[in-house]
Amino acid sequence: MALRVFWGAFLFGRKGLIVWDSWEMWVMQIVITPIAQIGFFALLSIYLQYPATVTQYIVIGNAVQSMSFAAVFAVANITSQDKWQGTLPSTMVTPANRLALFIGRAWFQVLLSALIAAAGLFYAATVFGVSFATANYLGIAVTVLLTAFAMTGFGLLISAVGLYLRTAMIVANIFLFVTLLLSGVNFPVSVLPTWLQPVSWAIPLTYGTQAVRMAISGSSFTALLPTLGWEALDAVVVMGAGYALFKGFENLSRKTGRFEEY
Amino acid sequence: MRPQNPEISDAIVVKGLTREYTTRSFFGTVSRVTKALDGIDFVVKKGELFGLIGPNGAGKTTTVKILTTLLTQTSGEAYILGLDVRKDLYEIRRRIGIVFGGERGLYNRVSALDNLRYFSDLYGVDPTTAKERIPQLLKAVGLADRADERVEKYSRGMKQRLHIAKALVHDPELLVLDEPTIGLDPGGARDIRNMIRELQKQGKSILLTTHYMFEAEELCQRVAVISKGKIVALDTPSELKKLVRDISVIELRTYGATVDYLEALKRLPNVVRVVADLDSEVQTIRIQSPLGADLLSLVTSALPSDAKIIDRTIKEPTLEDAYLRLVEE
Amino acid sequence: MERRGQVLKACIVLTAKLFFADPQWVIPSIIAPFIFTLVAFFLFGGQATSGSFLLYLVLGSGLMGMWGTTIYGSSNSIGFDRWNGTMESTLAAPVPLSWIALGRVLFNTFEGVINALFILIIGLVWFQVGFGIVSPGLFFLASVSTFLSLSAFGLLMCTIILLSRKGGFITNSMEIPVYIATGTMFPVSILPIVALPFAFLLAPTWGIEAIRLSALPGYAGLATNYWEDLAILAVETLAYLGAAFVLFKRVEAYAKRNGTLEEY
Repeated sequence: MALRVFWGAFLFGRKGLIVWDSWEMWVMQIVITPIAQIGFFALLSIYLQYPATVTQYIVIGNAVQSMSFAAVFAVANITSQDKWQGTLPSTMVTPANRLALFIGRAWFQVLLSALIAAAGLFYAATVFGVSFATANYLGIAVTVLLTAFAMTGFGLLISAVGLYLRTAMIVANIFLFVTLLLSGVNFPVSVLPTWLQPVSWAIPLTYGTQAVRMAISGSSFTALLPTLGWEALDAVVVMGAGYALFKGFENLSRKTGRFEEY
Repeated sequence: MRPQNPEISDAIVVKGLTREYTTRSFFGTVSRVTKALDGIDFVVKKGELFGLIGPNGAGKTTTVKILTTLLTQTSGEAYILGLDVRKDLYEIRRRIGIVFGGERGLYNRVSALDNLRYFSDLYGVDPTTAKERIPQLLKAVGLADRADERVEKYSRGMKQRLHIAKALVHDPELLVLDEPTIGLDPGGARDIRNMIRELQKQGKSILLTTHYMFEAEELCQRVAVISKGKIVALDTPSELKKLVRDISVIELRTYGATVDYLEALKRLPNVVRVVADLDSEVQTIRIQSPLGADLLSLVTSALPSDAKIIDRTIKEPTLEDAYLRLVEE
Repeated sequence: MERRGQVLKACIVLTAKLFFADPQWVIPSIIAPFIFTLVAFFLFGGQATSGSFLLYLVLGSGLMGMWGTTIYGSSNSIGFDRWNGTMESTLAAPVPLSWIALGRVLFNTFEGVINALFILIIGLVWFQVGFGIVSPGLFFLASVSTFLSLSAFGLLMCTIILLSRKGGFITNSMEIPVYIATGTMFPVSILPIVALPFAFLLAPTWGIEAIRLSALPGYAGLATNYWEDLAILAVETLAYLGAAFVLFKRVEAYAKRNGTLEEY
């Protein structure tokens, strides 16, 4: 039954709650937005006359970060969409397994986010001249998938907040911008003030960008394991916190009648 | 301001109105043409309260959209207060007020007062006039005490009353009410109907669409029945009821009636139609038959042993009975 | 004309009230500009110590803030009516849709100016940028002109929203490409030649040039001078306005033929 709920929620998350059924959406998300974001920061690096290695650093970071909209924002928006469409009470009144429901809806976004990041890395190679000559492709693939999963976990965490608070989308937006600043996307975490660095390491994307850079430069899977291990742990913690919040806010929303407030 | 057509003195004139929707395939070729309206004709006189009733998908909303200039017709003519809906858009809009049923259609994050001020500006109401009129409207619809609250805090009935106030903010000559009582509780719906009656007494012409036959019967001077894009009947409610004068209606109120009982009733001789509401604890079943009271014994004997009839009456057919015959034939 | 003024005022007031009623206004107004400025500051690194360079950085971030708000707000101005269910009521009003959209776009762009001001304040206070603008009067003129050109551009974006329910996604996806093409953080001269025509067709590109020429000492920019930049901006802005009004009429007629505007 839980599996059925999961699969149903997965299919519905794909079709019912986010408008991915047009080619324009796909082109925007997988072509235009990643290239534009990478291009912006790459051109800034060129303008500032940074060496090619720095530009490469920035290109790879933004290529991975480009998954954030699909992983975080779109997932966080699921609850808001449910509220706006008036389908949240109908969903919450079912006896469906909450874990399956919680994760099932977001799984499509995991796959989509990974695809967007993969597209970003493709553009890094073909448009922005990053060399993949010694790349560990398996390492890249595993890192991208894990990062997509972990970042979707953040989206679910924020989505859970959205069960109760109207300001969930603000949080999602802020988080998107914050990853640009804190996740080692455009400059190393070590550049940040010391007191801010622990926040960086709480964000899965920080490990993701680091691991992808290592994999592109040829690091073996063994060398990647510590970074990936921390990211996986981070993902589990985030997902767990998200699920706990989901259950907690569900109960709180029932007490205060906040389900229908958009 | 465009001069009105001097020959058209009625509030609404519709001649041969047709509207087709075309669905196209991915390659742009026409895959399907749906006729939402198929050459309808009707006239609404000035000062009249005219009803347009029909099942879902019959063409009521399409008609309303064309008459309120939100949609163009494929062919045919329509005039609002003598003005052509194709050409005189802005002039028509200045002179009609529209109420769309349902909860949407208001700016929920601001107050009722803000909503009315905004729409009165859009309709070009002089600010001095608006300053007097808006409080009067809020009082008339019973929202004066809560005018400063955000609309999102209103109940459905309150929102519907605000819709009416919004439609009147520019003192239109013609009102188009598209299912204004849909989803309201009986008390709220009654309030809206009273307001509609009062507006008609003030001399406004009103076009009302509704699903509720008793509402059309209670309020409207004439009713057009639309089905599958065509007008199948147009007359006063009493004349429409004569279409079913050959039948009587046995109305039962029961405990424990089931779908099986309805099927048994339908199989009885000379039963024209059975309409029932089985959702409540006390069910209401209406049996149309020319036999009238002569059918009672058969109706009672068909009742299962665990069900009970608590009331039975023989009634004259209503507009709903006439409507059902018209749309089902 | 008086009625148009009444409509514009009503739309500006309503948009402002809706804006402040929704807590999300804090994102484009405060959070986004702050984060962008911080990112740019860290990226500029050691170079961000000279006063004029910092001013360049802050001006660029401010312009990005304005752009983002304009694009987001403009695409939302009519799209909002669609999902709010007020599209029918808006269309049924006896005033062209373009004037309703213009009122909303004007507020949204003005809100972008507030964004830019926030960033300037952040620059002054947090990064201690010197406020040594070369010519304040010309700077003000260039800023107002850029604001108006952004409004005109936003109005044009509205027509895209009206034509398609995906329009919001389309216009929002333009955000970063427009940052690039209008030279908010780096001059358009470093763009590939193939991108230059697009950059030059965007009126705010010239507004940004004029702003820099009037604010930054020793700024070289493109081969045009301040007044030439403003003249090109004015011509292109008028062209946007003309195109927007024409397209609005077409869009309204199209929607009435097909009955699609209210569907989200």
